[in-house]
Amino acid sequence: MGFGRYVTARVLWAAVVSLIIVTITFLLLSAAPNPAVQRAATQAALQGGDPAEAAERVRELRGLDQPLHVRYFDFIRSVYTLDWGWSVSRSQPVMEAVTQALYYTAQYSIPWTILTITLGPLVGVYSAANMYSWKDHAATGFAFFGYAIPNFFFGIILLLIFGVWLEVIPVIYNTSAPVFSVENAIQLSVPVFVLVTGSIGAVMRVSRNESAEFQNADFMKTAKAKGVSPLRAYAYHVMRPTLVPLSTTLVGQLLALFLGSSLLVEVVFGIPGLGRLTYEALLAQDTNLVLGTTLFFTFVAVIGNLLEDIVFTVLDPRISYDDR
Amino acid sequence: MATEDSERFDQVDWNDLSRSGRFDLSTNSIGMLLTTLPLALLGVYDWRFTGQRTPTFEFIGLERNLESLDFFFIFTLFLAFWYLVLPLYQNPRMTRYYWKEFKRNRPAVVSLGWLGIVFVGGLVGPLVMNAPQQDLFIAYQPPVFTSVVDTTPATCVGEVMNGRCYGTWQHPLGTTQGGKDVFTMIVYGMTISMQIAFITTTIVATIGISFGTLSAYAGGWVDEIMMRFVDIILSFPTFLMFLLILYIYGAGLGMFIVVFSLFAWGGTARYIRSKSLSISEEEFIKASRISGASTYQVIRGHVVPNAASSIITQLTLLIPGFLLAEAQLAFLGIGDSTVPSWGQLISAGRSDLSFAPWIVLAPGIVLFLTILAFNFLGDALLDALNPEAEAENE
Repeated sequence: MGFGRYVTARVLWAAVVSLIIVTITFLLLSAAPNPAVQRAATQAALQGGDPAEAAERVRELRGLDQPLHVRYFDFIRSVYTLDWGWSVSRSQPVMEAVTQALYYTAQYSIPWTILTITLGPLVGVYSAANMYSWKDHAATGFAFFGYAIPNFFFGIILLLIFGVWLEVIPVIYNTSAPVFSVENAIQLSVPVFVLVTGSIGAVMRVSRNESAEFQNADFMKTAKAKGVSPLRAYAYHVMRPTLVPLSTTLVGQLLALFLGSSLLVEVVFGIPGLGRLTYEALLAQDTNLVLGTTLFFTFVAVIGNLLEDIVFTVLDPRISYDDR
Repeated sequence: MATEDSERFDQVDWNDLSRSGRFDLSTNSIGMLLTTLPLALLGVYDWRFTGQRTPTFEFIGLERNLESLDFFFIFTLFLAFWYLVLPLYQNPRMTRYYWKEFKRNRPAVVSLGWLGIVFVGGLVGPLVMNAPQQDLFIAYQPPVFTSVVDTTPATCVGEVMNGRCYGTWQHPLGTTQGGKDVFTMIVYGMTISMQIAFITTTIVATIGISFGTLSAYAGGWVDEIMMRFVDIILSFPTFLMFLLILYIYGAGLGMFIVVFSLFAWGGTARYIRSKSLSISEEEFIKASRISGASTYQVIRGHVVPNAASSIITQLTLLIPGFLLAEAQLAFLGIGDSTVPSWGQLISAGRSDLSFAPWIVLAPGIVLFLTILAFNFLGDALLDALNPEAEAENE
């Protein structure tokens, strides 16, 4: 199987996975009583009307009285044509709410991702080069600290210390600050720091252990014997093979963290991003918005996994496409 | 093996080895059955005969109720005892070897000690300590050895000096805004954490092992489909799906445990599959097959024991993720608010953070230490149980 066919097969597989997840979501939704219908029934009962009749009216209005398979195909069509419906709690289309929130999420997640994928391998390789020195132990300690401390707890503590006691950072996130400004950089520094500490540990550990293998490999000895400068030797001969196994786990881990932690970090720091949008939609019982945000995160996860697999095969020519 | 008391090959207990029938049970299985039976009876009794709100032990006059989650937790404890602790006692030589290897890792020993405290605290604590009571008069008591301005607590339990209220041993970690004792709440949270740890690992191990071996032995397109299914499980955004389920149906701790463990067994299944494929090529498997061992016996006697070390390690490293997820949900306040977990306490104390930081700090640090301990333990088990995996894993 050639590269082109491998990519095609992989993309098709990603489509299948997303379809399965969307189907499960649909089944979950259709098996449960719809909150909107219940609300209508309650309201009718409160105003002295007939709850059953009101529920029926809402059901008809939303097309819930149609057979399951019709609703299923409607659902699939609107999900994939990005027609995600109307958000009641925000009085705007779901798509618009998601794009607006994405603007704030991107502001902290882009620096966070860049910092993690550049600093992580660097520190990892550095601590492998100085293995069992105090620098290595410090880095290892930091790595363990980073992935053991719950992100939201760490965020609260930092907010308490720097926001409330020292008053260096604002406690309330200012949405009107321009993207590239000192104010924005200061208010985003702590969330980014919290997320980087959480994600960098795993990257550091993996790259440290992987690169330890290459420290004494024959090609390193040759490079040293030729008189290659240590910097160049590490950059070309250790870093490159280290990045390959790292890239297999990296995207998955970052995504997992992104999905879980961004929600918490946004709630803690009051950033009106995607995570908070999901949270508020949950509280406001806004079904369309809950669906929209969870589906968005799901698609990000599916596409991320897809990209990871493709990049992995491009990076490492040793992998054959045959047995996949 | 030149020492006197080492195991000798000419002293094989043939009775032990020739037990062929599936219903000829070992000591461990007999013990398991003997302990599970009363539990099951009690469960049926609780389910069928006591009322919805009657405590389980009312017939002997105890004011203690068991939920279905508690029954399952006790069941997993029995499992762990009969199939993990007892075998270690039955094979003192291997146990000594593991312990020697394990002891070299100092942080891991400390971690094990800490987890032991959490375990025992979670088991015994709720039996000997009364559930935390609301008492608004003693709200915001500071922890022992610390002090706050005496306007913070309503009434100071300890002594007041120079306008500051000092903490007492009555409330070693202080009290919350409702006057509940933080230490007691943390001990109650230990039970929750241990329940999550034990039940999820049992479910994950059961599904992962059966799915993995089934896939390996079925082969062909069944194997292909099963492994693609594992791919989906692995890339499934569990946290979000749980949010969705929570939103649609509402969910308690039991639902949390079920959902999260139903989406966590992918790695275990994959590992077991590759292990059983590689091990079926070994000479000793061929030998036992020729001697008439059934597939079940091969799996039970060779595949699972050979993969056990890696499974245990993997499970140990999975647990912190579950604990974290539970704490996150509890913190968001969208989980079951009646479950007295650490995350709940953190979220409860968040609004009083600036003047009563101990309400957040104490459970947060306990949670941090527990997650750290599981990570250290997993790392050390990786080295102790499976030396050759040291380089490749991590």
